[in-house]
Amino acid sequence: MECRVLSIQSHVVRGYVGNKSATFPLQVLGFEVDSINSVQFSNHTGYTHWKGQVLTAEELNVLYEGIKLNNVNHYDYILTGYTRDTSFLETVVDIVQELKRLNPKLVYVCDPVMGDQGSMYVPENILPVYRDQVVAVADILTPNQFEAELLTGRTISTEKDALDLLHQMGPDTVVLTSTDLTSPHGDQFLARIRIEMPKVDAVFVGTGDLFTAMLLAWSHHHPNDLKAACEKTVSVLHHVIKRTITYANEMAGPGKRPNPAQLELRMVQSKKDIEDPDIVVEATIL
Amino acid sequence: MHEMECRVLSIQSHVVRGYVGNKSASFPLQVLGFEVDSINSVQFSNHTGYSHWKGQVLTADELHVLYEGIKLNNVHHYDYVLTGYTRDTSFLEMVVDIVQELKRANPNLVYGVYPSLCQPYYVPENLHPVYKNKVVPVADIITPNQFEAELLTGKNISTEKDAVEVMDLLHKMGPDTVVITSSDLPSRLGDRFLVSLGSQRTLMPDGTKSTQRVRMEIPKVDAVFVGTGDLFAAMLLAWTHHYPNDLKTACEKTFSVMHHVIKRTISYAHDLAGPGRKPSPPQLELRMVQSKADIEDPAIVMEATVLNL
Repeated sequence: MECRVLSIQSHVVRGYVGNKSATFPLQVLGFEVDSINSVQFSNHTGYTHWKGQVLTAEELNVLYEGIKLNNVNHYDYILTGYTRDTSFLETVVDIVQELKRLNPKLVYVCDPVMGDQGSMYVPENILPVYRDQVVAVADILTPNQFEAELLTGRTISTEKDALDLLHQMGPDTVVLTSTDLTSPHGDQFLARIRIEMPKVDAVFVGTGDLFTAMLLAWSHHHPNDLKAACEKTVSVLHHVIKRTITYANEMAGPGKRPNPAQLELRMVQSKKDIEDPDIVVEATIL
Repeated sequence: MHEMECRVLSIQSHVVRGYVGNKSASFPLQVLGFEVDSINSVQFSNHTGYSHWKGQVLTADELHVLYEGIKLNNVHHYDYVLTGYTRDTSFLEMVVDIVQELKRANPNLVYGVYPSLCQPYYVPENLHPVYKNKVVPVADIITPNQFEAELLTGKNISTEKDAVEVMDLLHKMGPDTVVITSSDLPSRLGDRFLVSLGSQRTLMPDGTKSTQRVRMEIPKVDAVFVGTGDLFAAMLLAWTHHYPNDLKTACEKTFSVMHHVIKRTISYAHDLAGPGRKPSPPQLELRMVQSKADIEDPAIVMEATVLNL
């Protein structure tokens, strides 16, 4: 398989979010992953402490220039996630547009990370950049319900409305997720699906990044079959989360709540599930 | 099933594209089940053997800040530390401080050093004394080539006996495990092969030291690779972890992985370049992801000879 992904996400020294969450599983599935680290932090911001440095829009441009000067700016996929900086995000859009000119078949997989359950955890001025510039060039979009409402500008009463509106804005494939991964609704133009899966009693970080990366991988292998792509993706998440919960509870001890360090995804230990996930959910075609 | 719980702190370069530094070390270690925490000492578009390269470097202060974050969360517990190419003396000195602190937190910590001093890319000379006087004394595993071994010990290698003496000198300076990854020594198998040597000193139950020395004949390759030294150091870490008192097996596995990855890479590079044409640096990037199965379970393709001295 010769498939090259450009992933522009955070790097943490310890743990699994952003590029740390996306890269290993994609590589294990045989994708070449070029990764631009938008930040380098010690760990994710859910720990008691975190420290590190951020990449500016200018520095992002410089890295892209290096790739371009060597004439190796050819990608099949781009993957982006959590971004806090509007000028950084605008530079990402410029890069995506240029890469699409070079490869019209390029697929931009975008997780428009802005917030959840009614509150934003990025600066508000990121929204117009996503709404007016990013979503228009995205091919696969993975908003949660709150992000879908922010992007479409309205409260969503039915999933069908949300999906239709988001398609009109750009992406042919939209998967509506949510943080506790209940009932993701997916839509690939004329195919609409629905998945039910059990809630989990913990707060995970990095699962959204893993979800988006695996959706990239499985929609690559099942390009006109969103049902299969979503079943595999959700199944991988299930296995990784299950293994992580077990481990975290063991580490914490009986009756004690695991801490963020203990709740880091058991990514490396889940290699086999990533490579060949047992399907544990079934998507219903609506 | 009992899962392996082994955490490595790897402080190396990051390149957006290609396989050097942390890009070369992380995936194979993760595939083998190691948890890898990685501090990226630089972020460049690609390695410096391409026509162009651009990016940013991490300062010694910024390295310290990242380490502080880890420490404040009380998760600065590592089984291994791995470092490779470094351009900056103050950065390297900060690395040594961190290693010393981590060793106080875990006295069993093993520090693997790829002392990248004599390479087809720029290494400042003022690094030599820092390696010699500060890094090597705290290293447990070291993977110099012949020239680096000579530089660090001040002794030339013309014969196998010289090489063994140099490895003994390195043991005295610090590391119990030394592998001279390549040398000019004549191979028994002819001039299409080069000689690598390894030496591992272990403490016996009765308090005496025992040294196992091995020699390997490695097929030469007709290309300049970048990232192979980083991959070698990472894989030697992994295989000495699984074979802690058996340098022979650890080396056979490590050199075999290298062989498979390089062979796959050469084939691919020549396919891309076309007949009679020399592959370019992008074409010569290691076929890392494609070599996953070989990394997980390398077929042994060379035998190390144990030297009886």
